[in-house]
Amino acid sequence: MLAGGLVATAVLITLAVRRLRGSGISRTRLGILYGLRAVAMAGLVLLLARPIWVTRERPDGQRRPAVVLIDRSESMSLPDRDQTRYQRSLDFARDHLLPALKSADLPVQAMLFADDATAADGPKLADAKPDGPRSNLGGAIARAMTTVSPSPLAVIMLTDGAANERTENSRALSGLIEARAPFIAVGFGNDVGVQTISLRRVDAPPVAAPRTEFAVAAQLEVVNATDIPEFDLILYRDGKFAQKKTVTAGKGSRFWMESFRVNESQVGAHDYSIQAIVPALPNVKSVSTMGYASVRIAEEKELRVLYVQGALTWDYKFVNLTLKDDPSIKLTGLTRTSKQSVFRQNVESSGELLNGFPSTIEEIAPFRVIVLSNLKPIDLSPAQQDLLARFCGELGGGVLMLGGALTFDASWQGSRLEQLLPVVFASSQGVLGLDRPFRMRLTEDALQHPVFQIADRESPQKVWADVPPFTQYGRVDSAKAGAQIWAVHPQDQGPTGPRILMAGQRYGAGISSVLCIQNFWRWRLAKDSDPARFDRFWRQLFRYLSESSRQDVMIHVADQDLHPQSDIRITLEQQPNPKNIGNKAQQFTLRVENPQKKMVHEQKMDLAPGRPVETRFRASAAGLYTATVKDSREQPVATRTIEIRDVNIELQNTARDMETLRQWAAVSGGLALKVEDCRDAGEIVAAIKKKVQEAQRNREIQKPFGMNGWTLGLLLGCLSAEWLLRKRWGLT
Amino acid sequence: MKKLALIVLFLCAAASAQETHDPLATFFLGRIRYSQNDGNDCGGVGQDLIRLVSRASTVKVQQEKKVRLTDPELFETPFVFMNGHNDFVLTEAELEVLRKYLEHGGFFFASGCCTNPNFPKAWRREFSRLFPNEPVKPLPYDHLIYRSFYSISRLRSMHENREILLEGIIHNGNLVAVLCEEGLCCSFSMNNKCNDGKGVSPDDGQKLALNIAVYALTH
Repeated sequence: MLAGGLVATAVLITLAVRRLRGSGISRTRLGILYGLRAVAMAGLVLLLARPIWVTRERPDGQRRPAVVLIDRSESMSLPDRDQTRYQRSLDFARDHLLPALKSADLPVQAMLFADDATAADGPKLADAKPDGPRSNLGGAIARAMTTVSPSPLAVIMLTDGAANERTENSRALSGLIEARAPFIAVGFGNDVGVQTISLRRVDAPPVAAPRTEFAVAAQLEVVNATDIPEFDLILYRDGKFAQKKTVTAGKGSRFWMESFRVNESQVGAHDYSIQAIVPALPNVKSVSTMGYASVRIAEEKELRVLYVQGALTWDYKFVNLTLKDDPSIKLTGLTRTSKQSVFRQNVESSGELLNGFPSTIEEIAPFRVIVLSNLKPIDLSPAQQDLLARFCGELGGGVLMLGGALTFDASWQGSRLEQLLPVVFASSQGVLGLDRPFRMRLTEDALQHPVFQIADRESPQKVWADVPPFTQYGRVDSAKAGAQIWAVHPQDQGPTGPRILMAGQRYGAGISSVLCIQNFWRWRLAKDSDPARFDRFWRQLFRYLSESSRQDVMIHVADQDLHPQSDIRITLEQQPNPKNIGNKAQQFTLRVENPQKKMVHEQKMDLAPGRPVETRFRASAAGLYTATVKDSREQPVATRTIEIRDVNIELQNTARDMETLRQWAAVSGGLALKVEDCRDAGEIVAAIKKKVQEAQRNREIQKPFGMNGWTLGLLLGCLSAEWLLRKRWGLT
Repeated sequence: MKKLALIVLFLCAAASAQETHDPLATFFLGRIRYSQNDGNDCGGVGQDLIRLVSRASTVKVQQEKKVRLTDPELFETPFVFMNGHNDFVLTEAELEVLRKYLEHGGFFFASGCCTNPNFPKAWRREFSRLFPNEPVKPLPYDHLIYRSFYSISRLRSMHENREILLEGIIHNGNLVAVLCEEGLCCSFSMNNKCNDGKGVSPDDGQKLALNIAVYALTH
């Protein structure tokens, strides 16, 4: 195009010169004018032709890293020799690959991937579990190419290659080719697909009444089974054999429930575990064979709240005052009065909490909510924090961390307690000095939440706007995924938005929450406030936090297949209640929501202790369904999630897929190897280096030619000069 | 002259440092100014009560602040202390504020100074006007206030052969105001010097004062 344009320009100029030769203009002037026109037209043609300048890449100063992508999808949890595929890939990376890359002076960026990919350091790699729901090889490569800077020198993947997501493959391919980064794969696992039997989890109610039957159930999954023989399930109670049942033989893939009926006569807490004893068969692998659940056996007449303080605070006094006239909530105080002593209040027996904060599940089990106030990490040992996490996650207890001078302190960062709570602690030193007075601002979520409905006749917006101002608050950085923010500071901005003052989240079977305001009691004492609203808020909050462990009605999922497009059978049974004299039938409402929180089933029913009622709902899609039972006052009395699963796609195709890996390697100039062929990681690194050099040897850099200010300036300059000269010489 | 100015400056600085309030402190103690009383009887009593609480708890305590019953600051101070020697009368406006303060959760601790009977007599009369049918009455030894920190089974008068009981107002089932007639502030703060060998012993006085403070912090 460029050549054609230049020829056309030359022809036009020649014709014009010939036409004007006899017009009396000197040859010099004619030459100058048409010379300028020729240059301008040539420049124009050049720009229209969009020429490209091609050069070879020069080694730059910035060192590009090698990205190591490690597969953590569920198929990597399958056994490979005496380890899982994932563990073997980690060992290979740690013992061979990374040292070899380091000795070759190549910077490394490690990433974990399954359905998505994230950067990972050593501890994160060690802590990660191979439980990703999908294997998205293309997505992981694309993510590595777009997030790692400078662009990766090579992408090294440790995987079984069993991909089941392909939507991002073309983007990944473009990224590899564009960056000339070879794809190098090391394949783990067996080349023949396996049949799997998994005990996915054990379910049990967090709380049950004595002398009342309840179920401890195992969720089982079999994938690709051509012929799975019968096998045994063993129930252990506190580590000792309790019951055994045999699961019948079957074929195909299924996800179903098998349960044991349990009845305890004494109050206390028990750990139940179920083990699947799968016979050793060729090509049948057990992904996991054991699951656990804790159950608190309690005769609950009242909701017990344990209020733990690092020092006496007025908040405790005002909360105590609030609950004084509520016979259904009992507050027990545990206050550190010096380094060596604690002050107990409202304990049930002389021995209760004698040694301070509970150290066993039996000690913590009688409480349904635990409030932590004015505490430093040193006040709670890691073991006690673990216990608190079990209390919330397994026993369905509620945890509230309340603002205190020491409560929201940077030293809590990274603690077990922080993992449990709905917020990430800030790096600042907790509550600092006296803040400017502020009014807490409730979020839309809170205004709709039953806890925050503290007046019958006025709108929650107005009622909460009337709450008096506070002066201090603990700083937290952000809410965790899944947390619900209830109140924020009206002006102060944190790293991710308005500073959080109150938030909560589901944690396992329970609920954890934070209230970052210091001296929340000021609300009740304030001259213009209504103490009844303060009281109602606290009572409702404690009831909500304890709601998960309330099991006035037991929801039992029958032994059945739990797959989409099936009717799911559940049984509801009212628990014995001392207030229900004569065990009369009471009316309840069952509502079931699908994973999108839309109600799929609603049913009113009369329930009485000892008379279970069976019902069913249609599960049309996979996901977590939530069954909630409410009493006649619309108060929730029991809730349970039920998982409906498609056949596990990760375990359907479990054979190592070297063919896919070789294809990726071929198109990017890389290589794919089986791990058993990688006897020396140095050889891999040498191969990586060779492939990188090959890829870069011919790497061309293409830049647009002439598309710059100089060319444009030249063009305009020539045309302007030509116009000026014509004017000066009196030419039209 | 220069030296004198420096001394004055130093004293002013010391005084202002004394009044500095630690915003993180928990134990808010208000000292009531009423009628002609400026809250200065037995001057160190507030500080001594704070020291007592510090001894029994890791709680960070704040300096006392003086408030009138009609000051807005009263509703930021959950624990107030009142003492004196003489008779006094509360206005209707003061009673109204006090009523609201106690209903909202505030706690009132009063002590006669130097076992002078005029103050307790006035206190009983005036505080009995607060809530209809809820007059000031003695608190028997089975009340929790005698066991809230130290276990006190009996309190003996130092100069008479009788037992000493605290008195108080119980409103809606909550003990909201407490009085000790027998120069309690003098016994826990002034080593009983101004009580002239009467009233509560210093040892019992310290225990009782701490019990009252801990009770107020927990009930």
